[in-house]
Amino acid sequence: MANRLFKGQKQFKVVTIEECLSCKLKMKRPFKINDYVYKEGEVCQKCGTKMIISAIYKEELKY
Amino acid sequence: MGIGVYQLFPTDNSSIQQILSLIFYAIFFFYLFFGQQLQVQRILLSISGALNKIKDAHDRSKREIIDFLQKNGYNGDAVSHVNTLIEYFTISPVDLDPTGLVKKIEHILSVRDERIRSEVRSMLPEKDALTISILENLLEISAALNVYYKVVRHYYLIGKKTSNLYLLMQLQMVLPDLLREVEALVSAIEPIKNAQPIGDGIGPMVAGRLLLNNEKKQIARDTIFGEVNYKNRILYVIKAEGPAGNVGQPGNAIEYLINNYGLKPAAIIMIDAALKLEGEATGEVAEGAGAAIGGIGVDKYKIEEIASRNNIPLYAIIIKESIVEAITCMTKEIVEAIPKVLNRIDYLLENRTREGDSVIVVGVGNSIGVGQ
Repeated sequence: MANRLFKGQKQFKVVTIEECLSCKLKMKRPFKINDYVYKEGEVCQKCGTKMIISAIYKEELKY
Repeated sequence: MGIGVYQLFPTDNSSIQQILSLIFYAIFFFYLFFGQQLQVQRILLSISGALNKIKDAHDRSKREIIDFLQKNGYNGDAVSHVNTLIEYFTISPVDLDPTGLVKKIEHILSVRDERIRSEVRSMLPEKDALTISILENLLEISAALNVYYKVVRHYYLIGKKTSNLYLLMQLQMVLPDLLREVEALVSAIEPIKNAQPIGDGIGPMVAGRLLLNNEKKQIARDTIFGEVNYKNRILYVIKAEGPAGNVGQPGNAIEYLINNYGLKPAAIIMIDAALKLEGEATGEVAEGAGAAIGGIGVDKYKIEEIASRNNIPLYAIIIKESIVEAITCMTKEIVEAIPKVLNRIDYLLENRTREGDSVIVVGVGNSIGVGQ
C-alpha cells in the first residue's frame, strides 16, 4: 500500500469477485496482478463451469 | 452603561493600567502599519506547506514511472526521457475563426497522442498494449501534477516577490480544491500501475457485460464493438478496448457505424460516469438526454452532429461519483450501480424503441482493468 501523502487518507485493500454465470455463485478473493474484469476465472465449485471475474473494487481497511 | 474613549486614558496613577494602555497602543499601531505584511507572511506559510505537498506528489509520480520503466527492462536514461515527456505541451488552435475548430483540435490531439505513444513504445518495444497504456496513463498523471506544481509555484513566487496580498489570497482560496485534485491524482497511481479498474471505467464495464460471449471487432483506434441480440433488438455495443487503459474514439465509432455500415439506429444510449455534487450519493444512477461524454469535446461534437443530422434520439445514463472516485480504484457502490444501469437500458429499449430496431449503446470511460 502506498505511503500516505495527505492527512486522513484511508487505506484500502482491493478484492476480485468471481461469478458463475450459470448458478450465480459469487466468490471473493484478494486481487492478483493480471486480474481484469470479464477475464475467465476459476472453475465453479458448485456446478463445475468456468467463472468470470465480474468485478474488482476496493474495500476500506478497518483496524 | 457605555464604554467611553476616556477610559483608554486612565487618570489614576495605577502603573498596571498604564502598561496595559501602552500594550494596547503598541498592538493597535503595529496592526495599522504592518497588518498586511503579517497577513502576507501567514498566507505564504500556508501556501508553502501546500506547495511542498504538491511537489512531493509530483516527485512521487516521477519516481513511480522510473521504477515502472526499470521493472519492465528499460536500460536508457529514464529520468531525462520521463522529464521530456512530462514537459510535452499542446498548443490550442486559434479560435478567432471558429469554423472547423473541432477538426483542428482533433488533428492536434491525434498528433500529440501518436507522438507520446510512439515514444513510449520505443522505450518498451517488447511490451504488450496493456503495459504501454499503463505507462501512458502514468505519464498523464505526472504531467498533470507537473502543471499543478509549476502554476502554484509561479503564483507563490510572484506573490512573495511583490507581497501582493490579493494575489496570494486568491491562490489560498483555490488551494483546498486544488489539493483535492492532487490527492486524487496521487491515489490514481497505484490502481493504474496494477491495471485495476477505476471509477471512470463503469461505462465500459456495463458495455462489457452486454458484450459477454459475443464476437467483438475493432472499429476505431483503441475502440471495439459487438452486435448483441437483446430483447428482440440488435444492440451495437461500443467500448474502449480493455483491459488496457484506453478511452477509445466513440465519436469515430458511431460515425463509422452510421456512415460506412449503413446503420439507421432507433436510438443512441450513452453510459458514463459523471461528477456528483456534494451531498449526492456515490453510485446513484440518473437518466437524461444528450451526449454523455467528457474530454475536450471532439467526440461529443461528432456524436451530437451525427445524431442531430440523422434525427436519432440521444439518451444518457450517468453514474454519479466524486472526482477522487472517478480516477481511483473502483468502489463497491459504483459496481453495485451496474444492475440499475442495465434496468434503465431495458426500460429505454422497451419504451423508446420497437422490436427489430437497431440501437447503439456506448460505454464511455477509461477501460483500464476492464476486458470485454
